[in-house]
Amino acid sequence: MNKTWIVARSEYLRRVRSKGFVLTTLLLPLAIVVFLVVIILLAASAFEEDETRTIAVVDRTGVLEEALVAASDEAIRFVPAAETEAALREAVIAGTYDGYLVLPADVIEGDGQVAYYSAEGGGSIFENRLDRRIERVVEEERMRRRNIDPELIREVSSNVPLRMVKLTEQGEEAGSTGVFAALGFGMGFLIFMMMVIYGSVVMQGVIDEKSSRVVEVIVSSVRPFELMLGKVLGIGAMGLTQMVVWSALILAGSMASGAVVSLFLDPAQLNLPDSASTEEILQAANITIPTFPPELFVWFILYFLLGYLLYASLYAAVGSLVESQQDAQGFLLPLLLPIIVAMYTLVPQVESPNSTLSLVLSMIPLTSPISAVVRMAVTDVPWWQTLASLAILAATFLGVVWLAGRVYRVGILMYGKKPSPREVLHWLRQA
Amino acid sequence: MPVLAVDHVTKRYGRFTAVDRVAFEARPGRILGLLGPNGAGKTSTIRMIAYITVPDEGEVRFGDRPVGPWSQARMGYLPEERGLYKKMKVGEQLLYLAELKGLAPAEAREKARYWLDRFGARDWAGKKTQELSKGMQQKVQFISTILHDPDLLILDEPFSGLDPINAELLKDIILELKDDGRTILFASHRMEQVEQLCDDICLISRGRIVLQGGLREVKQRFGKNTIVIDFDGDAGFIGVLERQGVVRPITRSLHHAELRLLDGASPRHVLETALQHVDVITRFELVEPPLNEIFVQVVGEPALQAQPVAPTS
Repeated sequence: MNKTWIVARSEYLRRVRSKGFVLTTLLLPLAIVVFLVVIILLAASAFEEDETRTIAVVDRTGVLEEALVAASDEAIRFVPAAETEAALREAVIAGTYDGYLVLPADVIEGDGQVAYYSAEGGGSIFENRLDRRIERVVEEERMRRRNIDPELIREVSSNVPLRMVKLTEQGEEAGSTGVFAALGFGMGFLIFMMMVIYGSVVMQGVIDEKSSRVVEVIVSSVRPFELMLGKVLGIGAMGLTQMVVWSALILAGSMASGAVVSLFLDPAQLNLPDSASTEEILQAANITIPTFPPELFVWFILYFLLGYLLYASLYAAVGSLVESQQDAQGFLLPLLLPIIVAMYTLVPQVESPNSTLSLVLSMIPLTSPISAVVRMAVTDVPWWQTLASLAILAATFLGVVWLAGRVYRVGILMYGKKPSPREVLHWLRQA
Repeated sequence: MPVLAVDHVTKRYGRFTAVDRVAFEARPGRILGLLGPNGAGKTSTIRMIAYITVPDEGEVRFGDRPVGPWSQARMGYLPEERGLYKKMKVGEQLLYLAELKGLAPAEAREKARYWLDRFGARDWAGKKTQELSKGMQQKVQFISTILHDPDLLILDEPFSGLDPINAELLKDIILELKDDGRTILFASHRMEQVEQLCDDICLISRGRIVLQGGLREVKQRFGKNTIVIDFDGDAGFIGVLERQGVVRPITRSLHHAELRLLDGASPRHVLETALQHVDVITRFELVEPPLNEIFVQVVGEPALQAQPVAPTS
């Protein structure tokens, strides 16, 4: 075990000290925070009105103009057009109007297209707004013709708000289930990425040692199993370090991002006094920064570690069989299939976390690191299920690492040709 | 110092027997040459001695104990296929490899400094391995093999890639280690190096030992059946003798030839034929065959018969 420790420490230090590690560890969360702030700011800026657009209306139906002009608001002001279309064209280009609108005669009967002419196109948000206003005016005219009271329709189609509340044994949990679904997706995806990325690092390490032949010297000092385990543990420790640094940075970043975002929001615009706190400003701007339940973090780390150990052992065994990354693909595919299935069925798992599919996937050891965590994020999982899933995962890891050790021990000393899957099975049977 | 005993070991890979009841001993203070053509089972044998693999039958002992992790710590192995961590610094690399052999970091650092000095490589410790030339990497790897003061050294083609000056330096150090009473296993295809260094030889072919013993004694066993001749003038006599079925040339150049006497041929007949052609003979000597010749003779003849191709050892 002492040698395993020496190998693990060397693997860990060698990687943690490298420039690549320092850069990705520090820059990635920074990039994410910057990205989030930009998104939030963009969303916030959508609440503000930049300017009022003035649009001339050419109404060939003869009945809509008045209603449209009446529908003018801060964003769009409709004015009756006195000029000819040719004159309007010039007026738009000259900047007198932002644009002009042509309503064809038969638009109320459902034929013809409304056309909007402008110098700058407009953008999708503006297009939506314009469309909504015209539609409402046209709809009301249609209803009027059929003698339907617009008030009645407004009442019938008025919005029914729905509040999502998650029930747990501890009682109601605040916040919408949407946040938890996002959390579930995020964590499932993160575990998937980390298992595949760190697993590949392990595989690359094994391939490097084998193809540079340094492995021959190392195994004259260390048992192959100790070497494999040391490598898996050392790189796992590197992964854990990275996760901890990232979590800390993202946590700090998400706390700071509230303050950063509020700097760009004007309290006066949100009808708040200048002395309003960050929380009040964010609440008024309808921006929520999700909080992370701490016990979920513990489960997440536990599943990440066990899932990593399981897949890293498999990756190490595959690495021992080949001398280049390309050769590994054929062996990797069947091993990665289970987690690919888990990723593809992520949506139904989040939607119905208590379905048979979700339960089964959270128990199968090759999918449980992803599926069990996703389930835990979106629903209350009975403790015995979590315990069973973890126990199965841990037991599978022990079995797999033993088998992987058998393959690894033979594989690392086989130079030249890549063994066939049948040969590998033969080694396993001999073990 | 303990004796290394390879006691009738057999290693099979599937249906192929790579090593077949091989038995020999290597003694402290002596260099044992492990010879054999490619794929003969040398690497397989060495791996069992180094406890990288274990024999299917038989046993390898160092002293009176079977080899194991304990003997790995007292052994240095320089494989034929060299390899170091390319991106690691030389000092770091030596330290790591020594630590895996059970050396304390402080001691390892001191030893590394001593040996880097001896190889005139004091400034390399901070350099990455991939920045070094091949010969330099070779030296670093040799240092890693002896850093932990091993009692048993396994050197597989230690001179490959070294220039003559460094080869000479390495040879001196190997002989020094031998005089220190260490057991040294020397595997090589370069017969002139084997003749210079080895006290004993052990020739393996297709998994079996075909020749074994002290170098002098083995050569004597083959008798003085080789003529070395230095001359000036027409070398046509060699062709004449060859056609008569009297000799087979081993090597020949403009003024020098080594001729193997074929069954019953008399050296006198060779000399007389030569005198009829050449102007001057400056040397005419009956000697033991060079090791190279013994190697070809012992290994080559049965190899001419069709044999199934052996997989990689």
